[in-house]
Amino acid sequence: MTAGTVAAPLAPARRSAAPVWWLVLRQELTELWMGGRVLTYLVLYSLLMSLTAFLLATNTELNLLPLRQNIVVAVTSALTFGLFIGLAIGAESISGERERATLEPLLLTPCSPRQVVAGKFLSALSAWPGAMLLTLPYLVVLAQGHTVLGSALVWGGVVGTLLAAMFVGFSLIVSIWSESSRVSLFICLLAYAASLIPAQLPTEFLRSPAGVVLTLIDPVESASTYLDRTIGSGQPLSQAWPFLASPVAATLLTLAVLFGWAAPRLRLMARA
Amino acid sequence: MTTETSNGHAEEPRVILSAEELRKSYGAHQALKNLSFTLRAGRVLGFLGPNGAGKTTSIRILTTILPPSSGHFVVDGVTSDHPAQIRRRIGVLPEGLGFPRQLTGARYLSYYGQLFGSSSHDARSTAEALLQEVGLQNRGHSPIGSYSHGMRQRLGIARALVNDPAVLFFDEPTLGLDPRGQRELLTMVQGIARDRGKGVVLSSHLLAEIEGVCDDVVIMNAGEVVARGTVAEVIGQASHRSGVALRVRVPVGEVPAACGLIATLPSVRATTPDDSTGWIGVELRQLNGTAAADPRLVNTMLESLIRADVPVLGLDAGSGRLEDVFLQLTAEAIR
Repeated sequence: MTAGTVAAPLAPARRSAAPVWWLVLRQELTELWMGGRVLTYLVLYSLLMSLTAFLLATNTELNLLPLRQNIVVAVTSALTFGLFIGLAIGAESISGERERATLEPLLLTPCSPRQVVAGKFLSALSAWPGAMLLTLPYLVVLAQGHTVLGSALVWGGVVGTLLAAMFVGFSLIVSIWSESSRVSLFICLLAYAASLIPAQLPTEFLRSPAGVVLTLIDPVESASTYLDRTIGSGQPLSQAWPFLASPVAATLLTLAVLFGWAAPRLRLMARA
Repeated sequence: MTTETSNGHAEEPRVILSAEELRKSYGAHQALKNLSFTLRAGRVLGFLGPNGAGKTTSIRILTTILPPSSGHFVVDGVTSDHPAQIRRRIGVLPEGLGFPRQLTGARYLSYYGQLFGSSSHDARSTAEALLQEVGLQNRGHSPIGSYSHGMRQRLGIARALVNDPAVLFFDEPTLGLDPRGQRELLTMVQGIARDRGKGVVLSSHLLAEIEGVCDDVVIMNAGEVVARGTVAEVIGQASHRSGVALRVRVPVGEVPAACGLIATLPSVRATTPDDSTGWIGVELRQLNGTAAADPRLVNTMLESLIRADVPVLGLDAGSGRLEDVFLQLTAEAIR
């Protein structure tokens, strides 16, 4: 049959077993990974990690650091660079669809917006395990067979996943309310940079009561301190846990806002 | 499309979409005022209006993308307070629809089929059937990024049909297509209504094309409905209101002379020249309550123009065209 003629009605389709979030996730993963976007980010990530590992191995000042501290620096660097990937993907996921005019057909399906957002959330999060996998060789080389490698992988993975979920969740909230991906990315980068500010404050201030409170409140600084205590100083979870509370609470709060409030308000126009 | 009842009477197809006093406001600005209409199965309803008339707002309300400020509508028996149920019953080709460039047409349709609840297997076979229907069977497994604009529009129509909807909305589907592409697409739209028995809402600027495809029209201007009915009814209403029964086109320089000649004819009440195009509208004296053009008058008028050596470039002895009605009604509303 040629264009311009239409056949008889199709038989009604039977229900699918696949949940919507899974369909959206699969679709998004194909676009992100097969489309090469995540791979581009991961190449940049590898270059930055290579540079960090090279400095740790050759720089005379950094070379004086104990091995455990070297690993902490490598893990926090992996977090700093790796989290950015999820943030950038999440920031673009909804607002980018608005710009490309591909959001409307998705909203015209009977699917729950919460499930659509869940699929997009998981796909943006998928870059983090990739980054962790790429970090493994660097950590193996820097650990030189030391047992600290195990705790670096466990706590780096746990803390990184928490922060990745928080940043991806935050970037999706911003994306849901942004008309353009440039605006969304700008706001996310601003928040990302702000979260790194406490790390630049003087050590004297961070040791003061106000500094300790700030460290405990700021999830990124708190997570960094937690890694320093568990990997760098070998403290057990029972002693270092107060520094894990903030990342856990911040992640849960972000996900509650994303799925409980922002996702059901997903609209074609951000400010409609 | 009519069906025959057991007693032999023709029965009107059922109303598949009805809108009652839909309004949409953005603060103090009223984007849509009192939109009411009905659409029956198997018919094509044209949504006409200049830019900013409220066509896209209307379509977005009727497709549940935007909530109305007041009023309600019913799609295939489902009221507007059940948007998810309505989305199962409609297919939409939005204006300027975007596509994922890396995906193939078949994969794209299959994905949407699954989002509408089909199993993977059913969605794939539906996708293949739809690609065949819209003439993309040879390109279905190529990335959408390699498709021409016309092919993407046809893929968009296939996507709108993926859930076998009762009502379809096409918002400016012919925008950016060449004349052949426009014709093919409109024929396809007409086929969807006639052969599948769907209700189709078609928004377009191509008035001449719309006139040939649509059964009913709603003409909108500045958020208001200025005319509504079958194409013939709307043209008839506008002709009656203006009193213009026929039009003749002469070279622009000859318009004053031609007007003078036509005005001397006994049954002509007035002429309305358009100096930019050379068209002259001829209003007739009311005879037996009508202002219809007597065929003999057309001959007399042509004879007098030919005798005076005024070239006749065009003649519209019918009741007018949708394009004229549109221009007349939207101009009246602006005034």
